[in-house]
Amino acid sequence: MAKLHNSRWISIIASLLYPSIAFAYVDPGSGSVIVTTVLGLIAAIGYTFRKYFYKIRRMLSGKKAEDEQKNDE
Amino acid sequence: MTSKTSTGPVANTGSFRDPANRVYELVSQDMAGPTRILRGVNKDTLDIYQDLSNQPFFKKAVDNGHVVATKLLAGADNDARAILADGWAGVLEHTAIPFITYPYEWTFSMLKDAALLQLHLIEKSLENGWTLKDATPYNIQWIGSRPVFIDIPSFEPREDGQPWSGYRQFCSTFLTPLMLRAHLGIDHLPLLRSSIDGIPPMEAARYFTGLKRFKKGVLSHIIFPAKVEYSIAKRERDSAPAKRRTSRNQSLAMVLGLVQSLIRLVKKLSIEIHHTDWSQYDKTHSYQAADLDAKKAFVLKHASANRIGYAWDIGCNTGTFSRILSDYCSHVISVDGDHNAVEQLYLEEKKNRTSNILPLVMNLGNISPGQGWAGTERLAFDRRRKPDFVLCLALIHHLRMSSNIPNVLFLEWLRSLNAEVILEFVNREDEMVKKLLTNKKEQYEDYNLHHFLMDVEKFFTIDNRESLKDGKREILHLKPRQQLP
Repeated sequence: MAKLHNSRWISIIASLLYPSIAFAYVDPGSGSVIVTTVLGLIAAIGYTFRKYFYKIRRMLSGKKAEDEQKNDE
Repeated sequence: MTSKTSTGPVANTGSFRDPANRVYELVSQDMAGPTRILRGVNKDTLDIYQDLSNQPFFKKAVDNGHVVATKLLAGADNDARAILADGWAGVLEHTAIPFITYPYEWTFSMLKDAALLQLHLIEKSLENGWTLKDATPYNIQWIGSRPVFIDIPSFEPREDGQPWSGYRQFCSTFLTPLMLRAHLGIDHLPLLRSSIDGIPPMEAARYFTGLKRFKKGVLSHIIFPAKVEYSIAKRERDSAPAKRRTSRNQSLAMVLGLVQSLIRLVKKLSIEIHHTDWSQYDKTHSYQAADLDAKKAFVLKHASANRIGYAWDIGCNTGTFSRILSDYCSHVISVDGDHNAVEQLYLEEKKNRTSNILPLVMNLGNISPGQGWAGTERLAFDRRRKPDFVLCLALIHHLRMSSNIPNVLFLEWLRSLNAEVILEFVNREDEMVKKLLTNKKEQYEDYNLHHFLMDVEKFFTIDNRESLKDGKREILHLKPRQQLP
């Protein structure tokens, strides 16, 4: 009986140390909508900033968008 | 090379995950490679393809070699008719890929270049009102050392507010393995081999503990997704039904911004090529110049005797002899277990857009097995396409003494390929064998030229042989014995 108690304690401690979740019915991938929304919002700020930055740089340098695109490729 | 073909198209055993289409092959009976690659598609996919094929961005991607050349077959085509009889609405034909490979056989830079191609195609698609519904390296194959995207039905028109549904798959199958290698020096290939769907965020997060979490891209693309997934799993494991998360409110700037940030991240990931046993082979091999020239001349003589369709160089090191073969073959598959040696070969070959050398990383004592559904979704290395010619230089002593594979078993496997072989036997007097045996209890007493030739004769006829390094090595040209003694 004492052995049983010990093993129960060991499994409780182990489950606290190494939490693992059964995924049989849960689709953890459904969370990627949340992830892409948060990361997308941050990325959109940078994207919009870069877009206008390049636009202004083009206006100042007189370079065409196509030239810049070629350089990027 | 001509080869007998089977009577009709056969459904590809690895193509079933997308119910909207299925790949069929016309396979030659002697496994000398597919003669035609066809794809049955349903009505929606057919309509989408007809629209896609007229899009300038798609035409440009095909012209640049980024996407496999594809055409819609007329119903009058006999093979198309057989596929249409399976209930598909239309049949596409793709240019055949010389040899199918999987990401667990690619070097770091190959996986990186494949990732950049995938992201480039998504970026161009988004800019033109389209998207790709998935993002897996299994949709990318290689023509020589050039990656090509093969899964045409992945393209679909993007609806307003639609998020990028391939993001998680991209991270699990491309980004996480690249970050594990670049940030932590962990060999990503065994992980990709055992998890063909990639490394999910919660699993990946276990590698990035403490300050490692602050390496470039880790917090955003591993730790944060892992936290989200963990909280969803914890909340929903005991409740039903699951919460719907199908929000479609992501602007183009959000999706495109995310894709472009990933392009910048992947471009910055890099590894250092350390000096390994084979990565410096060109400088550290044990040959004098005259012997090396004799070895090259032997290979050249037999490789150039016939026009070879398709060759393997197993144990290729940095590809010195693959390059000799490549002038006389349509395709060379160059395989070695040393990642850095193969990486060097790839980095050199990718400079040449017309290279016909495809470098692969694989321990030849443990080649890629058949796996996935029913063990046939991803085919074993030696069950894909048989070579016409095999180069096997100074490999057998490693298999014998490092992997403990008896010579006779290796020769039997080599014979099963049914190809001409050039094999270099490294005798026990050679300093490299002595080095291998120095600290071994087992001394492999039966490992000598006499026993080796007896084993060879069981499976091959010796067409030509030559001594190298004052008899310490023997190079042989072998032809498969048609009737085994």
